[in-house]
Amino acid sequence: MGYDHDAIIIGGGPAGATLARLLAREGKDVLVVDKRKEIGVPVRCGEAIGVTDVQKEGIGLPRWVYSTEVRGAKLVAPNGKSIVWANESTKGWILERKVFDKWLCELAVDSGAKVKTYTRAMGLVKKDGKLAGIKLSHGGREPYEVTAPLIVSAEGMESMMARAMGFKTVHSLYDVDTCYEYEMKPYDHDNLIELYFGNIIAPRGYVWIFPKNERKANVGIGIGANLTTSDKQSGIKGADPKRYLDSYIENNPKLKDASTLLDFGGVISVGAPIDEFTKDNCMVIGTAAKQVDPIHGGGISLAIECGYYAANAALKAFEKKDFSKGLLYENYEKPWRSKVGRGLASRLLLRKVMEKLSDDDLNHIFNTLKDADLPKVMDGDFAPVVATLLVGRPQLMGVLSALMPGAR
Amino acid sequence: MITIKHDGCIFCVGCSSVCPVNAIEAIGTRMETFPERCIDCGLCVKACPANVIRLYKGVKSEKDLTPEARMKG
Repeated sequence: MGYDHDAIIIGGGPAGATLARLLAREGKDVLVVDKRKEIGVPVRCGEAIGVTDVQKEGIGLPRWVYSTEVRGAKLVAPNGKSIVWANESTKGWILERKVFDKWLCELAVDSGAKVKTYTRAMGLVKKDGKLAGIKLSHGGREPYEVTAPLIVSAEGMESMMARAMGFKTVHSLYDVDTCYEYEMKPYDHDNLIELYFGNIIAPRGYVWIFPKNERKANVGIGIGANLTTSDKQSGIKGADPKRYLDSYIENNPKLKDASTLLDFGGVISVGAPIDEFTKDNCMVIGTAAKQVDPIHGGGISLAIECGYYAANAALKAFEKKDFSKGLLYENYEKPWRSKVGRGLASRLLLRKVMEKLSDDDLNHIFNTLKDADLPKVMDGDFAPVVATLLVGRPQLMGVLSALMPGAR
Repeated sequence: MITIKHDGCIFCVGCSSVCPVNAIEAIGTRMETFPERCIDCGLCVKACPANVIRLYKGVKSEKDLTPEARMKG
């Protein structure tokens, strides 16, 4: 059967654009569709990126896609005690997201991929009971069909087509944080990502201040969406991140009088990846597959990394002319889960423990932890740190025992 | 059914990411709702960072909303 393309990728974010570039580079005919009018707009969440595969490959970030460089992170306890985590491995960049996303798409186009904006996937096309394409509409006009043996959902949080393909991508309220953020100026920072913890300022989450160029900062908050603060108008209980953020800013002398230049926000996933990424003739990649860091919800670096795994599987599929779940699973899902997935699982555990901590617990942890302990915790090596913490505060045993090796 | 006050919507698609029945979708430049699919669960109301979604339990179509509700939506 003749197809219009070798692969169709739904979504032109970091995951989709990376996969498109890697496939097009090998001479594959790739179509990327994005329903937004402009790639990268609106910016949803997240602007920080660490050392990723893009750099590993030696492409390097051009100066115009990032706002500023960051040295690392500063974590601040409810009592103000802070830990700085800055070394070679924590270096990164704060991106100009809409420029960055567009740049990744341009790289894909330079490699030979075809990108179409304002083009929405309306439904699936099946032939002989098999997924064989999608129905598209450009700018709300008459739908048309395009076909390919491989359809990839890189749709991000929404993941409508992934749902249509039968993947369980609906997010539960427990596994999302709801976020509100401002770009503010002036704010004098020292090129560290600042994270403020505490159940009063940000229940089950944190306030972040991302440094940006020209004395600007992205000041935002993410809180558990399952939290209950009463919403008078609807009578429904729900989280209201904007209210928490405004009250944090009001109480921060450095920010109180700063201007806002941009309002944005979003809902970020902080849960586990979906239970399957592959089916016959299709794959789900990046945030659509909930491949996000459960601590901070960041998905850009993971999306790019996932692009490489998925490309590897797709190229094998083209070579063998076999687009079955078995082959895609073996070459994308299985290696991803054993390498990337394992790390994320230990961070999910850490998140679940962290959300049970009271402000007093947090203060104790920050008072006890040394700067050098943090890298271990982030890498999932909890035991030595937990032991130290329990010495001064044995009542933490109940919560922290989940982190001990025997418990996993 | 739910209404979205598009005025304050920041177009983050958070609502559709938690909707279990695909009753909200980003189409064109705004979030569109499909009242016939809505099951009045209110998850989108809780997830919405901008607080612009209202739930009207039991109401199945826009024409059944009270004039006040229509004004707010």
